[in-house]
This record gives sequence, C-alpha cells and structure tokens, in this order.
Amino acid sequence: MILEFFRWVQSTDFMTFIRESGLTYPVIMSTHLACIAIFGGMIVITDLRLLGAILTERPIADVVNGLRWWKRLGFVIMASMGIMLAGSKAVDYYPNPYFWTKMSLLAVIAIHALIFRPMVYNHPEELDRTPLIPTRAKAAGALSLILWTGVVCAGRLIGYYEPPGQKGHVVSVDTTK
Amino acid sequence: MLLIQTNAIADALNSSEWVFPIAECFHIAAFAWSIGLIALVDFRLLGVGLKGESASQVAKATAPWTLLGLAVVLLSGPVLFLSDPRMYLHNPSFRFKIGALLIAIIFNYTIHRKVALSDGSSKALQAAVGVVSLALWVSVVFGGLFIAFA
Repeated sequence: MILEFFRWVQSTDFMTFIRESGLTYPVIMSTHLACIAIFGGMIVITDLRLLGAILTERPIADVVNGLRWWKRLGFVIMASMGIMLAGSKAVDYYPNPYFWTKMSLLAVIAIHALIFRPMVYNHPEELDRTPLIPTRAKAAGALSLILWTGVVCAGRLIGYYEPPGQKGHVVSVDTTK
Repeated sequence: MLLIQTNAIADALNSSEWVFPIAECFHIAAFAWSIGLIALVDFRLLGVGLKGESASQVAKATAPWTLLGLAVVLLSGPVLFLSDPRMYLHNPSFRFKIGALLIAIIFNYTIHRKVALSDGSSKALQAAVGVVSLALWVSVVFGGLFIAFA
C-alpha cells in the first residue's frame, strides 16, 4: 500500500525531473541544509530561553512571539525541500530505517506541539508572570532540543543506509591509499 | 612523513564505519546551532525576528552559545577531513567552502560584531552587514554539501 504510493510519487513528472536533472537535486539538498542552519537558531534560542539559559533579562513572550511566524515559514520551506528530496527517490527511501526514524521523530514533534502549544507556546505571557520558569516550559524546551537534534542526525544517516546487496555504495573507504 | 602520519590518522578514523557518520551528525547539528544563532543577529540587523530586543542584546546573548557551537563544528570538521585528506584537498567545493568559512569567521568577529554591538549604525549599514553575513554562511553550507557532488 505505502510502497505503491511511494512508487506513484516517484513516477510523477515533477519528481522524475528532480531525480534526473543533474544539479537540481544537490541544490534542493543544499537549500534544505541551509534552511536548517538559518532557521535552526530560532528553535535553539526559544528552547534555551524556556530553559532560562539565554536572554534571561528579556521576557519569554518577546522571544516566543517574535519568532513564531519565522519558525513556521522556515518549517514550510524545509518540509517542501524534504518532500522533494524524499519524493524523487521514494522507492529507495521506503526500506530505509533512518528515513522512518526521522518521520517517527517528526510525528513525536507534532505530538509535542499538540501538548505544549496550549500549555506553553500559545501563552508565553503567563510564563513571565512567575518568578521561576514553570517546569512545563522547561520540559517543552528540553524535549524540543533533543527531538530536533534527533531529526537532524536521523536525516543525515538516511544517506548511509545500504540496501542488502549494494554494500559499500555510499561510504566506500579505500584503506590502500 | 606528513603523508604517513595523515594516513595513520585516516586509518584510525576509518577503522570503525561509525566514526565518520557520528562526526558528521555533530558537525551538522552544531552548524545549525551556531549559524542559526548568527542568523538571528542577521535577521535583527535586517529589522525582523526578535524586534523586542536590540541587535546588541541579541548579539551579546547569543555570542557564548555561538562560540560553543562553532567549537564543535571546528573540532568535528577536521575529523571528517582527516578521513581522506587527499580527496578533500583536491575537491573544488571543499576549497571554496574553506575560503568562504575563513571569510565568514573573520567577518563575523570583526565588522559583524562591531555593527551588531553598536546599535547606533545606520539602518542601511545594519541591513548590508546582515545580508553579507547570511550570504557568507549559506555559501559555506552549499560548499560543504557540494563536496559530495563535485
């Protein structure tokens, strides 16, 4: 079922174009990575502020509200690039355990948002009213940092999966040099 | 002599198939961390993002965390390089990346730092510094990724 869907995605004209035109794929991948670099800091500073480790003399609300829409924009660009990268090679991605690890972590991040948006992110002004940062805010920040780091690592490791029978096609180490 | 030594290091690094990928994960997570924090200063210089804070506040608050991230990037980078120094040295994308990286670091700790810390600079100068900084760091990332393609 899923494999059939992946096969169909990969066979569309758009995904075939991405896969077959030489420079398009690495440019999309670089953009994906550059977005991680450009927008990753927004997640880092929000989480560090929730943990009380950065900009402590400034309100939490300033940081959370100031970056909310920029983080969403970054996510949309990153996810679009990601869908193109995975979609154009969907059949290769299907058996890749790191791909599914990454998707699972993203699903956990969605659950994180469902839980912590109403409790933390949607009402940052409440967090500034108490002298100590509430535990729920610190938990949200710490979990977010761990989950996003996991997504980045799992994403990179996708490139290292060797399907059975194709050993050594990615990390070919020639020790005779 | 140098070649023998680097080959010895390369062999050690290549003795486990996990050393390279793990170093790469550190490298990527740490550059997302450090470049992302620099980008926050750039965005503030462009007048977007953390508008409740001044550019100098953002720059001062992020500086130690940026340095921490850069330290991890600059420690994990050589581990990757030493796994196959000859390949990297002959790789045009790698050369481009190192050049862009040197310029980006020097720019970051001279002009960028000065303009970000003095909130008095003109809007045009602040915006120009923000754009140059973003362009430099994006070039470094593109150069890094293209090592695998060129």
